[in-house]
Amino acid sequence: MAEQDNNSTGTTRLSRLMAALRRPSVHYSLASLLLVGFVAGIIFWGGFNTALEATNTEEFCISCHEMRDNVYPEYQETIHYSNRTGVRATCPDCHVPKEWGYKMVRKVQASRELWGKMVGTIDTPEKFEAKRLTLARNEWKRMKNADSRECRNCHSFDSMDTEKQKQRGRKQHEMAIEDNMTCIDCHKGIAHKLPEDMTDEDWD
Amino acid sequence: MKKMMMTGVASAVFALATGTAMAAAPANWGSVPATDVDLLYPGVSPIEWITKGTEHGGARVLRRGETCAGCHSEEIGDMGRLIVSGGKIEPTPIPGKAAFISAKVQAAHDGDNLYLRFTWQQPEASGAPKMDADNPVKIAYMLEAGDKVELAGQSGCWGSCHGDARTMPGADDNKTKYVKDGSLANGVFYDLNQWRSGENKAYDGYVADQRVMEGGQALVSAEGQLENGTWSVVFTRKLTGGEGDVALEPGNTYNFGFAIHDDSAIGRYHHVSLGYTLGIDADADIVAKKQ
Repeated sequence: MAEQDNNSTGTTRLSRLMAALRRPSVHYSLASLLLVGFVAGIIFWGGFNTALEATNTEEFCISCHEMRDNVYPEYQETIHYSNRTGVRATCPDCHVPKEWGYKMVRKVQASRELWGKMVGTIDTPEKFEAKRLTLARNEWKRMKNADSRECRNCHSFDSMDTEKQKQRGRKQHEMAIEDNMTCIDCHKGIAHKLPEDMTDEDWD
Repeated sequence: MKKMMMTGVASAVFALATGTAMAAAPANWGSVPATDVDLLYPGVSPIEWITKGTEHGGARVLRRGETCAGCHSEEIGDMGRLIVSGGKIEPTPIPGKAAFISAKVQAAHDGDNLYLRFTWQQPEASGAPKMDADNPVKIAYMLEAGDKVELAGQSGCWGSCHGDARTMPGADDNKTKYVKDGSLANGVFYDLNQWRSGENKAYDGYVADQRVMEGGQALVSAEGQLENGTWSVVFTRKLTGGEGDVALEPGNTYNFGFAIHDDSAIGRYHHVSLGYTLGIDADADIVAKKQ
């Protein structure tokens, strides 16, 4: 009997709240409501964006040992980490789109990684190596489909003076331009170790 | 001065029998233009490696028709240093082994014979055990006509270099160089001439389905000498020979590569040039003009 009363009270409260929300305000001006809504929107958006950007840092990426112990040390040996010009491309520079729409899509996709983290899909070096090819293929495919968009945030054929490149790079890039190729077609493994079980099809 | 000379017995007999004058190389090689060619220590880089995209980033441009020299001719020393140190594709580095050799190649002909002169500075000995105790130095060149050997036009000698040939890791000790679909009858072969310093002997062979070191009829002689630390080897070769000899004709170009087995080396432990062209009175990387 008492339980029924409680349920009945809860339903009544919810109904009242819904009714209050639906009822036009008689106490506050439209301007006040808009102002409050605007400020609340800014606070909400700011909070959301801050949280989003917090996940868009190298620190966040390597806060998981799966990244810190496997791919991060490999990247530290590459030119994207240390070079003569002092420009560094960090994890999100290459792996997260800068444009908001693409970024949100990528973030939603990446939310699957939370599940992987929970169940320990790649929580040992052995598991990571076993999964490396699959993970690499996913990223190669994403980059290929996006025409190496994240590479092109910094690099472009338009601004590339092949005459200043070494003979080998010059030949390769001139051919790539002629054949309308994209960066990831050739530059797989530029910042991480190539999977040992990579196949010829992965290269083609 | 240490001087060694060897004249092919068969050729000498032929010359005497026919009463022709012995072939004479240019009296003044100084007037014959020289082409600089660097030879790198190649490690384990057989044709299977250079055509595999997951191993060799240049496989794609190679497939598209680019030559090895087109991408690498300016960095042969760097490549040699990387490989000889074990930094890449050399599972058993030899301490002290030369990373590369800079050679000069000169060519001339007189309508009957082609004369090829190779000169290079003798690198320091590594001190490693001698693989070929009889021959401190060997030099060989290969010629190919008509791009019939797969990749001969792009890669020089690499068309004959395979991962299952002797001295390659895990390979059969009796397996020689060979070319894909090699056949003298079909013209799918490299003509091979070699001079060995210790034996002081010239070899006239070919590489088809296997490597054969003797039996050719084109090579007349090979003469080598080491003077003040500089090797000079001159090959005299008839423009046309017999089976296993590429017939050279004025106006044509031929695929060409050469290798030096320095430091008493055998098999893959040599220094090898990338692929070049030899022209007989024709524009090429190395041109043999009529004297």
